[in-house]
Amino acid sequence: MIEVMHRAGFRNARACQFFDSFLGTTKEALARKYGVQGANFVAYKAS
Amino acid sequence: MSVVCPITLDLEKLKSEVRSIYAKVAENPQGDFHFHRGPVYAARLLGYDAAELGELPAAATASFAGVGNPFLMDSLPAGATVVDIGSGAGMDCLLAARRTGRTGSVVGIDMTDAMLARARASAADAGYVQVRFEKADMTALPLPAESVDVVISNGVINLAPDKEAVFSELYRVVKPGGRLQFADIVVATELSERARNNIDLWTG
Repeated sequence: MIEVMHRAGFRNARACQFFDSFLGTTKEALARKYGVQGANFVAYKAS
Repeated sequence: MSVVCPITLDLEKLKSEVRSIYAKVAENPQGDFHFHRGPVYAARLLGYDAAELGELPAAATASFAGVGNPFLMDSLPAGATVVDIGSGAGMDCLLAARRTGRTGSVVGIDMTDAMLARARASAADAGYVQVRFEKADMTALPLPAESVDVVISNGVINLAPDKEAVFSELYRVVKPGGRLQFADIVVATELSERARNNIDLWTG
């Protein structure tokens, strides 16, 4: 995702925080298997 | 890691499945889904303020199905123009409107009719005249170039088969000096071709 944002022209793209969004769902085991999490991202367009 | 969908994936079927799932979430948020929904989840796992969510129309918060919290990264300035990609029932749009105020403008973009109907009703119910919702694909936004201060989104861009096209379009509409602050799904492990062809895994 970071690389895609940079290729589009955005700068300083990064993931800031992570969330265990599938905790307690029927997909929790699958999420753990593939390392699936929610994440916050920021990216900036130059002035 | 791959960011494009397999060439064999039926893109129209994927879009149809996404619309179908989220129409069901809009119409029956208490239904049986593989992902969390609602304000209790948003507060408990994603850091939303439970008291603030309690002040919003229940129709907006009950169908919330985000995966992170765009509001934790940076404040939204008063008067800003904010766009929410995949706005769903409108919860994040209403929260954005509280922050940008009456001089701001919030546009929710979604492709699911049931979600749009719910979001428009919630915004009207809450009296947020500066919020509007538009039906559109996130690769073809009905917005002028360089017109947006902040793009938010929550668990939606992962559903796009062509993420390059999405971010190119976002770059087009964001003003110089503007930014993206959004939440989405990340995967630590490279998925097999078989897994990436499985529409059920795309839609959750």
